[in-house]
Amino acid sequence: MLSPLAPSRWNFDAAAHLTVRAGFGGRPDEIQKIQALGLERAVDMLVDATPDHYPPPAWADPHDQDELRLQVQEALTPEQKQLAQKLLNEQFRNEMKDLTRWWITRMVNTPSPFIEKMTLFWHGHFATSGLKVRPAFKMWLQNETLRRNALGNFSTLVKSISRDPAMMVWLDVAQSKKENPNENFAREIMELFTLGEGHYTESDVKEAARAFTGYRINGPDQSFKFAQQQFDSGLKNFMGKTGPWNGDQIVDIIVSQPQCARLIGAKIWKFFAYDVPEPNLVDALASELRNGRYELRPFLKHLFSSEEFYSSQSRDSQIKSPVQLLVQALRTLPIPLPDSSVLEFALRQMGQVPFFPPNVKGWDGGKSWINTATLTFRYKLARQLVEGVDPQEIGMPKPPAMEMTAPRPTMTPPLLVAQIVSAEDRQQPDTLVEKLFVRTFQCNPRIELMNKFGDFMSTRKVPLDDNAIRDLLVLMMTTPNYQVT
Amino acid sequence: MEQDIDVLTRRAFLRTSLLGAALSWTIPVFLERTFITLNAQAADSSIQTITGKDHPILVVLQLAGGNDGLNTIIPFEDDLYFRARPTLGIPKGQVVALDNFVGLNPSLAPLKGLYDNGNLAIIQGVGYPNPNRSHFRSTEIWQTASDPQQTLTKGWIGRYFDNCCNGADPTVGVVLGEQLPQAFSAANPTGVAIGRPGNLGFDRENDPDEARLFSELNGMEPGSMSGDSIGTLSGPNKSGMSALEYLQRTALDAQVSTDKIKQVLRGTKNEAAYPKNQLGSSLSLISRLIAGGLPTRVYYASQGGYDTHAGQINTHKRLLNDLATSLAAFCDDLKAKGIFDRVIVMTFSEFGRRVHENANGGTDHGTAAPMFVCGGGVKPGLYGKQPTLGSLDAGDLVYSVDFRSVYSTILSHWLKAPAAQILGRDFPKLSFV
Repeated sequence: MLSPLAPSRWNFDAAAHLTVRAGFGGRPDEIQKIQALGLERAVDMLVDATPDHYPPPAWADPHDQDELRLQVQEALTPEQKQLAQKLLNEQFRNEMKDLTRWWITRMVNTPSPFIEKMTLFWHGHFATSGLKVRPAFKMWLQNETLRRNALGNFSTLVKSISRDPAMMVWLDVAQSKKENPNENFAREIMELFTLGEGHYTESDVKEAARAFTGYRINGPDQSFKFAQQQFDSGLKNFMGKTGPWNGDQIVDIIVSQPQCARLIGAKIWKFFAYDVPEPNLVDALASELRNGRYELRPFLKHLFSSEEFYSSQSRDSQIKSPVQLLVQALRTLPIPLPDSSVLEFALRQMGQVPFFPPNVKGWDGGKSWINTATLTFRYKLARQLVEGVDPQEIGMPKPPAMEMTAPRPTMTPPLLVAQIVSAEDRQQPDTLVEKLFVRTFQCNPRIELMNKFGDFMSTRKVPLDDNAIRDLLVLMMTTPNYQVT
Repeated sequence: MEQDIDVLTRRAFLRTSLLGAALSWTIPVFLERTFITLNAQAADSSIQTITGKDHPILVVLQLAGGNDGLNTIIPFEDDLYFRARPTLGIPKGQVVALDNFVGLNPSLAPLKGLYDNGNLAIIQGVGYPNPNRSHFRSTEIWQTASDPQQTLTKGWIGRYFDNCCNGADPTVGVVLGEQLPQAFSAANPTGVAIGRPGNLGFDRENDPDEARLFSELNGMEPGSMSGDSIGTLSGPNKSGMSALEYLQRTALDAQVSTDKIKQVLRGTKNEAAYPKNQLGSSLSLISRLIAGGLPTRVYYASQGGYDTHAGQINTHKRLLNDLATSLAAFCDDLKAKGIFDRVIVMTFSEFGRRVHENANGGTDHGTAAPMFVCGGGVKPGLYGKQPTLGSLDAGDLVYSVDFRSVYSTILSHWLKAPAAQILGRDFPKLSFV
């Protein structure tokens, strides 16, 4: 299990598969470069990448929203207070939309897409929602914490997340009191983040909750601080081990359970390869992870080099998440980035707004992305991205008159055909179709499917104008095939 | 069109033509054959399905997050209640009494009218053995009607569709939301999700070549293929479909359903003042779809926010108020449209909450809680038993009615469906419907 892919099977399609799954796809010339590196060097390059320095959004500092919050507190009349509160909420919403656009932009432009893809994975795993976390600065901070630890050691990642202010607010750790500890985080860390249901007892939850007391957020700089006097330092009996455990030690005990490696290994496999890994594959993944002491880079290199990752089961089997659909389109086609309101609206219609997972379990993924409503919207979005987004046509409601500070959504220019099509291409419909097929579907041409597009284009006037080429791209993007990688 | 084509932009041309297009719904030949096949299967089955415009309708309303039942139906004479909830306890004087022992949270006051008119049944102490306190697991248990140790994937409503609605339109189940709930998950996937009414339908291209290629690529033409798979579109069974097959089937369902829904919405309107929130909008839309004659058997809507671990008082107040005002408006609307007798609404939540308040002005995950069932066909009153606060199970309420009894009652008495077959075995029925 997990033996390396034979060199003879490394080709353009394999390189494309890697580029799409361990990232968000690439231009044909980028995929060719990856292919030329050979499997080992390509995987090393992807996985060894480190986060670049990328400036935070302008508003993202520890004093985010201090001013407006003060206005709420100092309001003299109930009406003033209500108004100030309204402005505070609006500012938060605008900042969150801005944060989403900030992250999407980063995904689109980064030279290290695998880091962003892995950060997205961890975001879905340690799913924390802006619905409960204020101000937006905390959500940005968590994003950077996930990114910084995304490819390091899993145990370190869990400990970092347990101290992350957004997580502490989300799962009520920041308020947990020694006398009556809040069980939310203790339960979810085991149920969702490490072990899964059935691998711990209610008593374990209660004892772990006692160990995660004393965790607080330092107001002035939104950093973690440990309040010794709030910490329950008594003996806890956790998973059969007794001691005066603190949070980090609880994490150590949890990670030493074989089940943890199984859960994490399987979940990573599901996200990057295919939905249901076979039991002995899960065993192999878990062994790999445990033997490497939960160091993620070596584990992931192994995964992306394995036969199973490139098997037919792993190809054309994954329904693109809304983020994948959008970012891949923006990375591979010359489509201008829509503004933050439009982006947020589109992602919401499709069921995935970063920073707002539906619940602690994250996003289910797979077929759950697709129903009559979301598929209809994906098709509508594809057309709009290519032809230029009109907020009204895509179904955005007019901003309520009461909203004073929200930026008005703007129209986005259409796809820049000239950037991907030469004058010669326009004279040769067959060549043009083939080039655009490879770029759009991220694989070598599938003859039967490509011929359908070819037949259609042969009815258009030559030289092909921008409208005809945009029609072709829309047709390609409004297919079941385009939804799948 | 009056305007000169050369002057209009291409986009505007498409937009006006879409709006102006007549709604003729042409059924591709193979699709018609499929329906005939499916209907033949249904005719063979021994289950009598109620057809025609008078079929009974169930509206399922999920209160997501774990509704605090103890502050919903309040035992205002029980001293233990006030001792367990020094800050969260609702003062006796504020409770809207239903009898001498229990009453409604004051935010639910709009439901008192329904209760007095004989349109509301309240089932107390609903839960199940070995209660699970995980949102996801407990929701899964409610959605699939499984035993605590079982993991089922198909939903109880999906199994109802499989058993009783073969050959039915994909609109047999309609969800107001972006996702189909697990309750709808069926061996033969069906059901339509209405996210936003304005988003219904594919933009259909005016160019006939483009339109034809689009239809072909999306499996809507006879003999069409996606380039990889096909052949399964003639069968109803969607389980085990590959991703591509599933996508094609969904595209087909979308096309077929949206024309119908658009048509229905055109001919109906509201007859009541609904509160301006998401739940109100959902219910008002459901009312129009029912009145418009959509063949839907089960509607599903959800109201989130009930996971009140901290600062419960104001949040719960707002949620219950939204719930009560929306339900009351919905019932008024249905009455005005003369269809109230055909509809019942059932609320449920994945669990109640702990008896004792926590240190953050909230409550943690608990167990048993009440369910509301309202509608024209309901036999009103209090059912089940208010859980006793005197003997708890590790701080939690003990249930007296298994939720599958409620499902069984509705399936059997209201939807006229074989409840034991759908739920896996018999459950004692109640008499609220």
